Amino acid sequence: MSAAIDRLFDSTFGARSGEVAAWLRGAALDWLFVAKATFAVLLTGWLAMRFNLEQPGTAMMTVAIVIHPQSGMVIAKSFYRTLGTLVGCAVAFAIVGAFPQQRVPFLASTALWIGLCAGGASLQRNFRSYGFVLAGYTAAIVALPVVNHPQNVFDSAVMRVSEVMLGIFVAGIVSDAIFPQRLGDVLRDGVRSQFANFIVFVRDSLRGVLPRVHLEKAHLRFVREVVQIESQRSSVVFEDAGVRQRSPRLRLFNHAFMAASTSYHSLHHLLNRLQGAEHAPVRERLMLLAGELADALGPPGSEPRMAAQAPALAQRLAGLRERLVARASELRVGLDARGDRLDFDTGAELVARIAAELHDYTNAYAVLASPYMARGLAEAPAPFSHANDWAGAAVVVVRATLTMFAMGLFWLDSAWPDGAGAMLIATIFSGLMATMPDPLRAIRYMLVGYALGLVAGIVCVYGVLIHMDGFALFCAALAPFLLPGFYLSARSAWPGVGSGYLLALLYTIAAKNPMSYDALHSLNDSLSQLLGVGCAGVAFMLFAATSDSPWLLRRLLRKLRMQLVHACEWPLRGLLPRFESASRDVAAQIVAHTRAGSAPSREGLAWSLAVQETGRAVIELRMALAQVDVSSRLRDDIEAALLALAGLYANPGRERYAHARRLIASAIDEAAAHPALMSPLHLIRLALLDTGAVLGARVSEPAAQETLHAT
Amino acid sequence: MPREIAWFDALVPTLLPIFLASLLLQWGLDWLVGRFGLYRYVWHPPLFRLALFACVFGGLGLLAMR
Repeated sequence: MSAAIDRLFDSTFGARSGEVAAWLRGAALDWLFVAKATFAVLLTGWLAMRFNLEQPGTAMMTVAIVIHPQSGMVIAKSFYRTLGTLVGCAVAFAIVGAFPQQRVPFLASTALWIGLCAGGASLQRNFRSYGFVLAGYTAAIVALPVVNHPQNVFDSAVMRVSEVMLGIFVAGIVSDAIFPQRLGDVLRDGVRSQFANFIVFVRDSLRGVLPRVHLEKAHLRFVREVVQIESQRSSVVFEDAGVRQRSPRLRLFNHAFMAASTSYHSLHHLLNRLQGAEHAPVRERLMLLAGELADALGPPGSEPRMAAQAPALAQRLAGLRERLVARASELRVGLDARGDRLDFDTGAELVARIAAELHDYTNAYAVLASPYMARGLAEAPAPFSHANDWAGAAVVVVRATLTMFAMGLFWLDSAWPDGAGAMLIATIFSGLMATMPDPLRAIRYMLVGYALGLVAGIVCVYGVLIHMDGFALFCAALAPFLLPGFYLSARSAWPGVGSGYLLALLYTIAAKNPMSYDALHSLNDSLSQLLGVGCAGVAFMLFAATSDSPWLLRRLLRKLRMQLVHACEWPLRGLLPRFESASRDVAAQIVAHTRAGSAPSREGLAWSLAVQETGRAVIELRMALAQVDVSSRLRDDIEAALLALAGLYANPGRERYAHARRLIASAIDEAAAHPALMSPLHLIRLALLDTGAVLGARVSEPAAQETLHAT
Repeated sequence: MPREIAWFDALVPTLLPIFLASLLLQWGLDWLVGRFGLYRYVWHPPLFRLALFACVFGGLGLLAMR
């Protein structure tokens, strides 16, 4: 469909009509989504009434929650929602069966289950977290309405499952079969632009020097892209069998990208250190070498059409590593000082490594972009590792459990007839919002949307629906109220307002056949809903999420530094992709939980860059150490240095810093006979010495006095 | 076949296990078609998948309910 719209606009406005056409195209896609979503909701309502389901409103709400402009997202979300619903039902049986007549243990166990599910959700990155939340509150949805008649729990469960499943199926079919906007296309565009941008970035910056600030900015962009591609990859596998076949290749592509970008950062870090006249010979030679690599990437300033050129580029890069190594040994002549040689060797090896890694990266892209199915990989690529902070998850568990339990006790003690509704809404929100980057802000938007939706719902039911008769008129009455909600959720200016509005609207309307009109009940219910959302907000203020809690942020930073400790200590097998992905995952979490440009965000980025470069050098060192035959004394020295480095990153401090620096300097003196060990050691020391790097700043010791070279 | 089966003493419509079986079968077929890249010859792959599923489920259901 998007292709058809493109053609239409191209023929109307001409190919270069620019902004107007782009805006109209976006608007057309938004309205297409709005139309599809409204159609899906109404179709679900009709089917649910035909099937005599108890609450067609629940099925319609399911559609409103699940539907998303991209069909891969809908199917992924639906898949996990199905699993979550089934598990939640099973748990509801168990809880109702265990405590049919005791209110407090019943509430406590439900609250605990919901808390545990919310905590599990916060450990997941994609829609799997949504499945966890669902497993939690489906138990409450099934168990709470039958709390006074426990023998009805089975019927209640069957009804809820049928309604939810109906909603899921209709949403999936409508979004996938009618004018689909495919997530696969979005992912393909993302991969293509990532590849083109990175190659152009490397080519244009290889000839110059990137200041640290720009490096951090580029690092931030790359981290975002890596995490985004991984998250889209995990959803797109539900959409298209063709993409599913390519999924391992995509992983390989992402790993190659991570490796290349880290090496590239290290090279620029080294070049930054080599400013100043005394380093000019080394710097100029390294620039010559880098220039050869840049030439292989194509003439500067040209905007490459990457999909077509990738195979040719891969061919040009294929033998480059060997040529660069040969050229480096020519250039090396004339460098006499030992320190200069060390700097040059390290830089030359980095350039050669970047050439090899860019070759892998280009190759991975060329295979990915070719329309033909590639043969399967001999070895499955390493999965993308995530790193989680258990304390954050524990806060989520405590928050959700206590919210639910407090609301439940209030409900029991006050004998408030609508207490169950308030409790349910509070639980749903404390679970759903816990996975958002900035929950307090999200819940504020949600509350606004919710209030609007309640008012709209009451107007719709008592102003319009009450005069209507028959399903066609029902649709005609409902559609004008649905459209703005879906439009708001399609445009992401105010995230959450649209979905809050839709939830409240559909909940208030509570479509049934025949409809029941009870104004008193509706008003009481609305009040309890608002109170529930408000209570969830209070819970988020009391038990702050990561974005508002310096304690959790500090823990995330520590988690980031611990990645380096793992790089020093964990077994080597599969360590590199694991380190590269897990450290970026933590960095992405820190970035997501902080405001862009704020002090904690910058600190996190600086740490992330330091961890990335040092960790990579540590792994290279350990790999070299495993291959080279060295004396046991040197081996012991290097291992002691790594241990000291790990200790420093685990607990930064002045003495540990000095200790690690000393040990690494002496290891460099020892290792002079082994060039393979020298350059990673040198890189580690550079990262340590760098006053700009956050480790030096943190231990507040002017590191610049020490000479850069081991003389 | 009977219209309903007792499964742990709960009456389940026979079509439900058939539906689940056709989902499995559909998943296998989808994997095969994707594996050999046959979706490139299809105008509208999602619609094709949906139609394939309708055929599988309809066929199995009619066979069982004969």
